[in-house]
Amino acid sequence: MQVSYYPGCDLYTKAKVLNDSIKAAFNAVGIELKELANWYCCGTTFTLARDNKMSLIAPLRILSRAQKEDGYLLVPCSICYNTLKRANYIFKNDPDTLKIINEHLGENYNGGEKIIHPFEFIKEHKDEFKKGVKKSLENLKLGSYYGCYLLRPKNEVEFDDPESPTIMEEFVQLMGAQPVTFPLKVECCGSYLIVNSPEAALEASYKILKNARERGAEAIVTSCPVCHYNLDNFQSKIAGMHSDHQFIPVFYFSQIMAMAFGLPVEVWGLEYNKVNPTNLLKEHKIL
Amino acid sequence: MRKLSRDKDFILRIQEISQQNIADCYQCGRCTAGCPFAEFMDEPPNRIIRYIQLGYKEDVLKAHSPWFCAACLVCESRCPRGVDIPRIMEAVRTIHLRAKEQLIDIDKIDKELLKDAHPLVLMSALYKYSY
Ligand code: SF4
Ligand code: SF4
Repeated sequence: MQVSYYPGCDLYTKAKVLNDSIKAAFNAVGIELKELANWYCCGTTFTLARDNKMSLIAPLRILSRAQKEDGYLLVPCSICYNTLKRANYIFKNDPDTLKIINEHLGENYNGGEKIIHPFEFIKEHKDEFKKGVKKSLENLKLGSYYGCYLLRPKNEVEFDDPESPTIMEEFVQLMGAQPVTFPLKVECCGSYLIVNSPEAALEASYKILKNARERGAEAIVTSCPVCHYNLDNFQSKIAGMHSDHQFIPVFYFSQIMAMAFGLPVEVWGLEYNKVNPTNLLKEHKIL
Repeated sequence: MRKLSRDKDFILRIQEISQQNIADCYQCGRCTAGCPFAEFMDEPPNRIIRYIQLGYKEDVLKAHSPWFCAACLVCESRCPRGVDIPRIMEAVRTIHLRAKEQLIDIDKIDKELLKDAHPLVLMSALYKYSY
């Protein structure tokens, strides 16, 4: 089976590990991720100013390219997913705007593309993915961290319940590890505030990591490159601010798949983890 | 007591950019209660909305709060009146940015961060905070 997918810029740069491991993991269960031809940046974070149509241009081009393929676009990066999905919501529900952008670009997009996140895809193909599990992660306790972009706004992204989602916990369970749920799993990590107001972003990340630990998580799992960056990269800084901080590894969900499917350790991309997970993985005889 | 200086044009401008009806908010405070960054804001989200309802343009434009809003949409998902607060915060930022007042000066971004920053956070920050 072949599925079109949109990597987005980050899967070629900082989140390369997400790209490599998701392709390998899907391959392992017989699904080939076929990169959309001639894609480019989705524009990152979706504009909230309603009188600005500029931000719809890139998404429409991307979606009209996808339309020529098979009407089903898999988007692993939470931010790209959010941006494309919200733009598509407008294309579906606001024919006037769709017409303006189509005419402007000389495209003929009909608004019919189905944008899907790997978690949704995995849920739909549960049995195939379950069959792929070859290695036991049974004692590994993973805190499922959703962040913002997968969940909100509810009516536009239609992913899961924005207050108490469960799709990631179901994924963790499917991979044979132990899901840990914690109240701050839907709280913001600080996102781009790290650039301009690092103290606010670091404080937000600290609270999330602490909350997950207190509920018993030994590591965090996420699908968002920005959440991964904020939660993993700055733990030394956080430890400098809070003496009670305990380091906790942060994985992309695709790394967990690569482990569970028994793929070679090089595919796990552990060198991308700033907080070294080696001891934890050895302790559970995963490594 | 402060004299009501209701700047009607300002209210309309915010409503036009955000496509939100400012009068919908009944000041329950749920947005502020759940906002992860309220503690860093000089005026909490519900008060920004209140100032806009009252047409206190100056107070809104001098507040730092909109620059602390990460557009995480928690408030939007919890508002019992269906007010999309992050769109209102964005409208306030938009007014600043369209007047060529920006928060971010690229030269002043921490060099250490810049060296290794994730392109998504840089792109988003520049997009939200500069014109
Ligand atoms: S949650 Fe909604 S109604 Fe309540 S104060 Fe905030 S904006 Fe107003
Ligand atoms: S969207 Fe902005 S105002 Fe609303 S909760 Fe998040 S940071 Fe606070």
